[in-house]
Amino acid sequence: MGNNKILICDDSILARHQLKDIAKKCGYTAFTEAANGQEAIEAYRLHQPALVFMDIVMPVKDGVEATREIRRFDPKAYIVVVSSVGTQTQLKNAILEGARDFVQKPFTYSAIAEILKGRFEGR
Amino acid sequence: MMHTQFFGNFLLNKGVVTPEQLIEVLKIQSTTHKKIGTLAIHAGYMSAHEVEDVCRLQMRCSKRFGELAVELSYLTQEQVDELLEMQLPNYMLLGQILIEKDILSRIQFEDILTEYKNTYEIYDLDLLDEQKEMVDKLLVSFCPEEGIENLKDILFYLKLLFNSLIRFIGEDFTPLKFITLPEVPTDYCVSQSLDGPFSFLSALDMDTEVAAAFASRYADKEFTEINKYVEASIGDFLNLHNGLFAVNMSNDFAVELHLQPPILHEGTTLDTDATAYLLPIIYSFGKINFVISIL
Repeated sequence: MGNNKILICDDSILARHQLKDIAKKCGYTAFTEAANGQEAIEAYRLHQPALVFMDIVMPVKDGVEATREIRRFDPKAYIVVVSSVGTQTQLKNAILEGARDFVQKPFTYSAIAEILKGRFEGR
Repeated sequence: MMHTQFFGNFLLNKGVVTPEQLIEVLKIQSTTHKKIGTLAIHAGYMSAHEVEDVCRLQMRCSKRFGELAVELSYLTQEQVDELLEMQLPNYMLLGQILIEKDILSRIQFEDILTEYKNTYEIYDLDLLDEQKEMVDKLLVSFCPEEGIENLKDILFYLKLLFNSLIRFIGEDFTPLKFITLPEVPTDYCVSQSLDGPFSFLSALDMDTEVAAAFASRYADKEFTEINKYVEASIGDFLNLHNGLFAVNMSNDFAVELHLQPPILHEGTTLDTDATAYLLPIIYSFGKINFVISIL
């Protein structure tokens, strides 16, 4: 069995919980959580998850910066941005830093399920 | 969608109800059932006078409203069936409760309704649609008398706020009038700043009980006391709403705004360098204060 670890990075405990709930329903069980960009970088180095859900607006270090640093550490990192701010500029910045996909908040079950499917099925 | 909110405000401005009465009525609203007489007036099938007639008769005999209305030829059986199927808009429910509480007579309610409809040409609002001058007009009436900078942006922001409240919390609310404050003392408050060409601080303040109720609605989970999830729910709501605003400002006006993370303030004073505008919003579960301060 391959690496199915998922890192959920969001400063909102509620958003992390909701995301985890959906992933659990999809059959995933290995999670690591981070409440800001700095924690995300540290958790990534430690656990090397197969998928990262990354919020943008966070204290200490935002999601764009965290994405940049994680990708510098591991150019193959699979990072999906989950944010309420889906402006073109922000989207462009995140993609430039190497984010693979973007999910607009409030996220739906199907949007998250699709990301999980895209990452873990048929790999 | 927005009828109750604005109708409640309309009644307040007309001096027909006091804020206390409105709060009481809004609390009852969520548990009240529609009445066929109210529905008949709403559908234009019966006048208030005719409904009065039927109600008077009803007191003397034990027949149903629909049955009597058909006997008196005010309604056909088809109309009764249709009314029974019908959903009552919330503002009509508000009227029904005001009548039951003897705050308004049926005739008064009918007059006010006509005036309200004529003034604001009620329609269901798709708030992202631009040609809604009526709503603008109504929103201006909430705003403080003296000129605010960026009034247009703020009005747009408020439209979205009402839209977000309806979408994520529920439509059973009534905004009161803006209050201007030099500083804002907080109870349980979450704030979020937006930076850019148009920078401002937004915040939601409420007491802890209301905060738990607000969060319960947002997260669709029952919270009875303050915890991390309650804080996160209010923060997430603000963040979603402000995110929506940022996207719209970016798409429509090429204005890029940057959201700061939400911050919790408990029993302190909100640090605003500029004048703060506080908009009390009455929900059936209690009062929330929305604060905006242009930096």
